[in-house]
Amino acid sequence: MRSISLILKQFSRQVILIAGLAICGLTAYAQGDASKGEAIFKAKCTACHKLDQRVIGPALGPTLEAETDDKWLTKWIQNNQALIAAKDPKALKIYNEFNGAAMTVFGDLSDGDVANVIAYVRTEYKKEKEATPAAGAAAAQETGPSNIVVFGLIGVIIIAFIVILVLNKVISTLERLVANRPALAPEEVAAEEEAGPSKGLLLAKMLIKNKKFVFFVLLCGTIFCSSWTWVILWNTNVHTGYQPVQPIKFPHDLHAGVMQINCQYCHSGAYKSKNATIPSLNICMNCHKVITTRMGAKEPSAEIAKIYDALGYDPATQKYDSTKMHPIQWVRVHNLPDLAYFNHSQHVKVQGLKCQTCHGPVETMKEVYQYSPVTMKWCIQCHKRTEINIKGNAYYEKMEQVHELIRKGGKVTEAMMGGIECGKCHY
Amino acid sequence: MDSNKKYWKGLEELNSDPEFVEKNKHEFAEPIPIEDVLSSGGLSSKTPRRDFLKALGFGVGAVTLAACQKVPVHKSIPYLIKPEEVTPGVPNYYVSSYEGHAILVKTREGRPIKVEGNPNDLLSKGGLNAQAQASVLDLYDYNRLKNPIRGGNDTTWDQLDGFVKNELAAVKAGGKKIRIVSSTIHSPSTLAVIADFIGAYPNTKHVTYDAVSYTGIIQANQNSFGKAVVPHYNFDKADVIVSFGADFLATWISPVEYQGQYVQNRNNKSLENKKMSRHIQFESGMSNTGSNADTRILIKPSEQGIALVNLYNEIAGTTLPGTKALGNTNAAKAIKLAAAELKAAKGKALVVCGSNDVATQVLVNAINSQLGSYGTTIDLDNYSNQYKGNDAEFVEFVAEMSRGEVDAVFFLNTNPAYDYYNAEAFKTALKKVRLTVSFSERNDETASLCTVVAPNHYYLESWGDGNAIEGYYTVVQPTINPVYDTRQAEQSLLLWSDNAVKDYYTYVRNNWDKNLQPKGGLQSGLKGWEAVLQTGFVKVAPKPASAQSFSRDLNGVAQTIINQSGRTAAGDGKFELELYQNVAIRDGKRANNPWLQEMPEPVSKVTWDNFVAMSPTDMKKLGYVQGDIVTVEAHGYSVALPILLQPGQTQGTISVAVGYGRTMAGPVANGVGKNAFPFQTFLNGTFQGTSTASLTKTGDIVILAQTQTHHSIEGRDVIRDTTFKQYQKDPSSSSGEERKHKPYEDLWDAYERPAYDWVMAIDLNACTGCGACVVACNAENNVPVVGRDEVRRRREMHWIRIDRYYSFVEEGKEITEEQEISELKDLDNVQVVYQPMLCQHCDHAPCETVCPVLATVHSSEGINMMAYNRCVGTRYCANNCPYKVRRFNWFNYWNDARFDNYLINEHTHLVLNPDVVTRFRGVMEKCTMCIQRIQAGKLQAKIEKRPLKDGEVKMACQQTCPTNAIVFGNRNDPNSEVSKALKSERTYYVLEELNVQPGIGYQVKVRNTNTELEA
Repeated sequence: MRSISLILKQFSRQVILIAGLAICGLTAYAQGDASKGEAIFKAKCTACHKLDQRVIGPALGPTLEAETDDKWLTKWIQNNQALIAAKDPKALKIYNEFNGAAMTVFGDLSDGDVANVIAYVRTEYKKEKEATPAAGAAAAQETGPSNIVVFGLIGVIIIAFIVILVLNKVISTLERLVANRPALAPEEVAAEEEAGPSKGLLLAKMLIKNKKFVFFVLLCGTIFCSSWTWVILWNTNVHTGYQPVQPIKFPHDLHAGVMQINCQYCHSGAYKSKNATIPSLNICMNCHKVITTRMGAKEPSAEIAKIYDALGYDPATQKYDSTKMHPIQWVRVHNLPDLAYFNHSQHVKVQGLKCQTCHGPVETMKEVYQYSPVTMKWCIQCHKRTEINIKGNAYYEKMEQVHELIRKGGKVTEAMMGGIECGKCHY
Repeated sequence: MDSNKKYWKGLEELNSDPEFVEKNKHEFAEPIPIEDVLSSGGLSSKTPRRDFLKALGFGVGAVTLAACQKVPVHKSIPYLIKPEEVTPGVPNYYVSSYEGHAILVKTREGRPIKVEGNPNDLLSKGGLNAQAQASVLDLYDYNRLKNPIRGGNDTTWDQLDGFVKNELAAVKAGGKKIRIVSSTIHSPSTLAVIADFIGAYPNTKHVTYDAVSYTGIIQANQNSFGKAVVPHYNFDKADVIVSFGADFLATWISPVEYQGQYVQNRNNKSLENKKMSRHIQFESGMSNTGSNADTRILIKPSEQGIALVNLYNEIAGTTLPGTKALGNTNAAKAIKLAAAELKAAKGKALVVCGSNDVATQVLVNAINSQLGSYGTTIDLDNYSNQYKGNDAEFVEFVAEMSRGEVDAVFFLNTNPAYDYYNAEAFKTALKKVRLTVSFSERNDETASLCTVVAPNHYYLESWGDGNAIEGYYTVVQPTINPVYDTRQAEQSLLLWSDNAVKDYYTYVRNNWDKNLQPKGGLQSGLKGWEAVLQTGFVKVAPKPASAQSFSRDLNGVAQTIINQSGRTAAGDGKFELELYQNVAIRDGKRANNPWLQEMPEPVSKVTWDNFVAMSPTDMKKLGYVQGDIVTVEAHGYSVALPILLQPGQTQGTISVAVGYGRTMAGPVANGVGKNAFPFQTFLNGTFQGTSTASLTKTGDIVILAQTQTHHSIEGRDVIRDTTFKQYQKDPSSSSGEERKHKPYEDLWDAYERPAYDWVMAIDLNACTGCGACVVACNAENNVPVVGRDEVRRRREMHWIRIDRYYSFVEEGKEITEEQEISELKDLDNVQVVYQPMLCQHCDHAPCETVCPVLATVHSSEGINMMAYNRCVGTRYCANNCPYKVRRFNWFNYWNDARFDNYLINEHTHLVLNPDVVTRFRGVMEKCTMCIQRIQAGKLQAKIEKRPLKDGEVKMACQQTCPTNAIVFGNRNDPNSEVSKALKSERTYYVLEELNVQPGIGYQVKVRNTNTELEA
């Protein structure tokens, strides 16, 4: 009975929670169509705004959460210049906060459009906020496999311990039985004599004397140590997560994430060469000739100044002094050994892989770390699983074997094309 | 008859020397002390167990400690401002030219790493010789001068310019002579700079001096036809070629070009049209060309002139006064037959002679004129500029200096202190000159005697041009910033002569703009220039080659020739000495190049040395053995050199290579061999390389670092050849049914080769054995240089070697049984076959099955792969390889101070191909079929979304081969070049009876022998 009421209680709690959330959602939806708003938001706003981050303009998520006056918001979005000109206090505050950077005037947006955008921003931000912890959990689970082994081991040890205890109980029961029949008990006088001080010590002594127990502990220890060594050896020279300190704190999350700069803008070799190439500083200067400060900051950025320093560039005069030039010594994150040949263009251009497949979510990395293990096993696994991109590539046209495979309906992996043969990478 | 003809790799194998037999029992020459350790003494000694444990403990500890270091931090340094055309990881190719040949220079990240032939080159059609292939290494030679020098001390260019200009002004005021001494310059711009310099200093004269001179030919043409030039020879138009000691396939004038021409009438295509030229060689030493000849007749240098006179008599049907009959009956008979063949091939015949004697060359001109060669096989209108040296002028210059008439001298790309026959006289005379300037890249024998050394750029750092053949202009463009603080010699001359143009690049541009671009039909200005930098050359339509009429009286000429041969004829135990150029080292200018030093000389297979080549009969007579050091003495100069037993060397003659014995070239060349240039003499206005020498044994003995004897063929059927007659009867003669083996039951499953089956076809009839492929492979695949000592231990690392096989003919009979060899009267009638030997990429590779760690496995593209990082160095594979093509890294050659001279410094590391790893100590390596090129070719096709084209991927050896003897491609494609080549009836597979199913098919060597001459 007790348990049933408990279940009911939990159930009702869930129902209330869901209902509450639904109402919240409905109230939000009531004011505009978020899905319509999304299109407008992506077309017009993303150049300067992000939901959760301050970019050129403020982070819209928190701002709209705090600002509930939708009428004012509509006015601001449609024509912020008018509000500023009218010396609206709220408008002036934002205007000053962003160094007098004027927001684009969106006179072409109707009230309905603006409402849609606001609705989209609010729901999307809410979704994001809720998703963050969940994603964290998922991430934690993703690192699972190795933990499973550890937990499994611990579980095995615990179970083994319990088994020992049970067995000991059985033994002691049996001993008691024996003791009840004195004829069977041999000389136990000495033992009883020693049985004096405390119960804990007694137990310890008993355990130490118990050969089976000692053996078991030793066995467990050995298993634990060797599996630990095994794991260590497997991971020797595997530098997943390697995140060296770079001479310039280059934020990929800002450039690739917030600014959405295409990876190939800087790593232009990835499409043409075996090297993805670290950009030379003239690429940086394409933007940083103009952008000299950190986002939102007034002071010139010390990190950007390092670019100028390396180039012997004087931002004041905008002139280069070639005598002061010195290269920037980046620390290599992904160190493929010389004995393995890797070609970026093969993977990016021909296969059409996304950079993130191997390099992970670079667009969220404040400082780049090694995402993949970059071991041979990792390479081979991918070559065995991934279907190769043969569509529209006349290179594969004449390869009858490939056609045969397609006809059979099988997928064509790199491994089938000889992609796991030594000579493909080692020469 | 031919099916059991015997071949020998060397005389050691033939004689079955006990040492050779013993060494060949084992895979590796050096004994491994297994027996000692496992013998009873080793096992029953007292403490092996404890020692073992100690060693084990220490070893584990040491390894653990060594492993306990932090992972090194790798830096990644991008360009500050990346040049637009450079993408790291992608090679750029630039046109340039090497000695007048249009070439392509492959650069990676701005540094040249390989030189490749320009497929459109007029001369070599994309082929390159070993020297050109090796030239890229010299760029990074740290023995080059790093800054200008004055009076032995480092100085700056400004100071140097001030000094030289002051001196020149003083010299000009003094009114004494100024001389510019150079080797042949055919660059129009350089010649213009020199002309401008002469304009500024009118007392200047330009003296051209070539270490190996062709003045004889130039003078003879002046005498005969009034044209003082080296003609352009067309070996492709000749059906009958008779050469008197001209090594035209290896060293004579323009060998790469001639190789291509020569093979056109002998390769697969020509044979299928049932056409093959005949090549008769009269010579004393066994040259690379002679070894390729259909018929090789041994004559002494002293007999050469008489033979030519006799040949003229036969052809012209006259008898020149003073004609002597040849004492050598075999040669006399051969002359008669050769004359008949030449006459029959009138208009398609060519006679060439290696002599630098004017009279001899005049006679050759007369013969060629009789044969109607001018206008067909010899072209005097589109002549060659490759050699323009004037020996008499140089001798006169030395005399001028010693008379104190010269006040200033400039040496450009020449080194008389080393290669002038009378170097001592030159050195003493040079001391009397007020201003001596050398433009040498290194502080060589001459530069070290000069007050000023203004180091020149290397050709890969220079602007310039070339004009090897009249009407063919190539451009030289820099492919790297100057590695050291050097300056182009032309630039120095411009500055010192206060030229209006201060910058040599502008000068070259102006010259091309004004003269050469219009000649090539290009518009002037930048557009035309850019077109030149794309194609690499401009070509003027060749003038029609005119026939020349020879109308000189030959009586005097014949008399001079006869007298001269009397002079060289040796008597009373003396030998006739002939100097020659080694294919790798040539005149010794590139002697400091380890790739060239380690390239085995085609015939002798000796590396890192010159030697006295001697006939086996003579050696027997004198009781010499190979390696005996003898003192060779001729007109007052003597050197001590080891003896090489050379079958096919004319009895009573010895041959010595020039180009060795450098003293100031750098650590690689210094002390390697002995200088033979002083054996030259100055006679009748030219330098001549023959004289009489006496030999005395010193009692010392050395082992020559010879590669050929490193393996034994154990009498197996590796080489096959046939005669043209037999080939015409049955194209599959000696490759056909009678030598096929019955099909075997396969032990292994066949490999699937779904997409590609990479194979190779090598035409033994096209291969001349020049060795260019060996050096090209070195450059492409980072093959290390091991040095003389290691070569002696049979540890050379070349992935491709050219095996040279001897077979013997006596009295028209081929030697088929090994014991017959001892019954031979002499070993004169030797035939040579070259066989490039590299990993055969067997489909049933014996190496793969024995590798305990699967480091060598088969690919689905038919390639036998080698994963170095997997190899643990058991060497089982090498042991099990029937072709002996696997090479073991006994040392970490790229990073071991013992190999300091070669490749371990930071400069030479820049020449490494970044797409190929360098191998570490203890791993096996071998030919990979340039897998990096295959992969790159496939990737390029994939990127461009198109199928891989046949011929798109070229092996390094194939690419450089001047005769296109090597064809590589996909056997799965029935239309590929290689499939077609392998379908040839001549194709056979080496050791196919082992059923290893090699991937390289060889085409039987065909000899167009004259049976009458053989008899």
